[in-house]
Amino acid sequence: MSLFGMLGTTARALDAQRFGLDVVGNNLANVNTAGYSKRVVDLGAVPPSDRYSAGNGVEVLSVRSMRDRLYDQRLFDELPLEQQQAAISDALGLAEVALGKPGGSIDAALADFFDAFAELSDSPASTTARQQVVSEAQALAGDFSSMASRLSDAARATDARVRSDVERINALTTQLATLNKSIGSSPASDALHLQDEQVQAVKELSGLLGTQVLQLSDGTVQVSTRSGKPLVIGSDAYPLGVTNAPGTGFAQVTSGGTDITAAIGDGHLAGLIEVRDTLIPGYTTRLDELAHAVATQVNTLHATGYDLTGTAGGAFFTPPATVAGAAAGLQVSAAIAGDPSRVAAAAVAAPGDNQIARQLANLRDGTFVSGATPGAAWSGLVYRVGADVSAAEGEQRSRGEIVNQIELLRDSVSGVSIDEEAAMMMRFQRAYEANARFFTVIDETLQTLLSLKR
Amino acid sequence: MLRVTFNTLFRNSMRDVQRTGSEFARAQEQVSSGKRIQKASDDPSSAATGLREREELRTTDRYREANDSVDSRLRVVDSVLTDVISSLQHAQTRGAAGRTTVLSAEQREAIALEIEGAKQSIFTAVNTSYRGIYLFGGADNTTAPYTKSGSTVSAYQGDATVVSVDTSRTSSAAVTVDGGSMLQGSAAQDVFQLLDGLASAVRAGNMTGIDAGLVEVEQAFNRVTAVQSRVGATLSALPAEKARLDELRRASDSRRSQAEEISLSEAISEMTRAKQAQEVAIAAAGTNQKTTLLDYLR
Repeated sequence: MSLFGMLGTTARALDAQRFGLDVVGNNLANVNTAGYSKRVVDLGAVPPSDRYSAGNGVEVLSVRSMRDRLYDQRLFDELPLEQQQAAISDALGLAEVALGKPGGSIDAALADFFDAFAELSDSPASTTARQQVVSEAQALAGDFSSMASRLSDAARATDARVRSDVERINALTTQLATLNKSIGSSPASDALHLQDEQVQAVKELSGLLGTQVLQLSDGTVQVSTRSGKPLVIGSDAYPLGVTNAPGTGFAQVTSGGTDITAAIGDGHLAGLIEVRDTLIPGYTTRLDELAHAVATQVNTLHATGYDLTGTAGGAFFTPPATVAGAAAGLQVSAAIAGDPSRVAAAAVAAPGDNQIARQLANLRDGTFVSGATPGAAWSGLVYRVGADVSAAEGEQRSRGEIVNQIELLRDSVSGVSIDEEAAMMMRFQRAYEANARFFTVIDETLQTLLSLKR
Repeated sequence: MLRVTFNTLFRNSMRDVQRTGSEFARAQEQVSSGKRIQKASDDPSSAATGLREREELRTTDRYREANDSVDSRLRVVDSVLTDVISSLQHAQTRGAAGRTTVLSAEQREAIALEIEGAKQSIFTAVNTSYRGIYLFGGADNTTAPYTKSGSTVSAYQGDATVVSVDTSRTSSAAVTVDGGSMLQGSAAQDVFQLLDGLASAVRAGNMTGIDAGLVEVEQAFNRVTAVQSRVGATLSALPAEKARLDELRRASDSRRSQAEEISLSEAISEMTRAKQAQEVAIAAAGTNQKTTLLDYLR
């Protein structure tokens, strides 16, 4: 190769090393960028043009993103399960708070209510004791009603989160469709940052809703729900819809007009739907069963007794029409609330008899709430909510650990190491210095050659 | 070999700082509140146990209060019965004193008046009310069991129902007395009528009438003492019942405490450990990436 040819080769080498430094700088600049995958530059030796040449130096072949699709896929598979449990434990936190503190909630109201009847059995004719029964019954009814209302509020708050998740899913599918369009029309080397964004968007989408992701050879992705409903195909996004369920008004998720709420099995959205449609209604049903059983049992006994004036006792609570809604609608009957002497404490028409009051007080030990006492039914409900939250938290920790390990593995491939980049920086810097020195040597050699003619 | 990156170190550090911080916050909350569980999900099983024991405590407390109430009420009944017995004994003594032919008319009149005084005492005693309830009227106890018109006492106005109060899940105590059964029973006339008859017999010096009256007073005495024996038996059983309830309460409270509360020394030790762990995690996070290859490059 001629000396002038060597100058050209060295200039290309300087360019290649400078490009290497450029990539290092970009990696360091993005050390904290979410979803950024480390770039590496591929250099290739340019082969000699003839047998008398050592070679034509170096050229930049490509810039690659360091990414392992297997780790990405594992992350897309695990995230929905972790996010589902996170959604359950977060959303159930509201229901758990609604239950109140031990000794200061329905448990205390039930004990106060039965105690008031025990007090009445001690002084059946006492106006104070009768007023106490009415007051405690009203407090119990109020507590049942507020508890039902708080559970209903928790379900509504969860529904708002469902709607918010659907909006975010639609924003992400739109973003992915746009990215598909850009990636499909760009050369591979220009699409690296778009692919980073794509992976980040699919990751977030998978956390919200379990998905099936198909990576196509042109770098674009096809995304569908687990049940096969399309979300992103090519540059088209298929947004999820929301319709209000009759009765509850809760959001039902639709795809192409079809209700897919029941088919959403994992992801943050599935967790929220499970809390809203299964768990909280389950707690409300247990609360309703308790309120209904207490009201019915008290009414049945009360009706067999006689009040202070010797009149047969009627219903103590306004009889609940159905189990559903019994807690929310529990009320002391207007007749009793207006006149405590109407409380039937006696089994015979004698004002001093206390047999019904005693039986009513002893209902605290009656196993009439699905085979349990009222207190046991309440502690069963508290246990159920606590166990559900605890199980979700435990499962989330376990799944979170798996996700964390996958993230670590992914980082080990895609992440930027400052030490590594420093080493690469030194490597390219030294190579640049050496090539610059070589350039100087060739230049001096040319000077020597030219000076021969003088 | 796992390639360690800036993100790896950052992620691990943050996770450890958050985990140890959360553990410290929880340990601190346990120490400051004295409670092992703040919400049911901390330990669902213990939360349910705590609730069950709280319910048991409330029930036991209720029965202890009922015991106290029954005790005070029966002490009044017992005291009244002692007065009735004393009055009957007095009438008996005075009736026996009148059974002699040597007494003057004035002396007979004095004895008859004493017998009538005993009748008045019994009338007052059996009309005793406690907290608005007539103790000797059965269940019909909001009005006096006996009324009087002049010196004539009415028939029994109450009923035969005995009102009981539950003193535990398995026992109850009668807190009112059927005055009719006690003062008349199966006899032809009640105590008031027989004392009137006895006083009349003493006034008239009717020895046969006095004898018959004394027999009936003896029968009335036996009925009242039988009632007092029953009241006494109930009263004497109450302390044992209350002691058993106290024992049940202590056991329930101990179980509730185990379920809900902390051992302060253990909790403080746990909090100290959690604080040290948090400090170590923070210190470790602070030293991460403090030294890099860049420090050694010109």
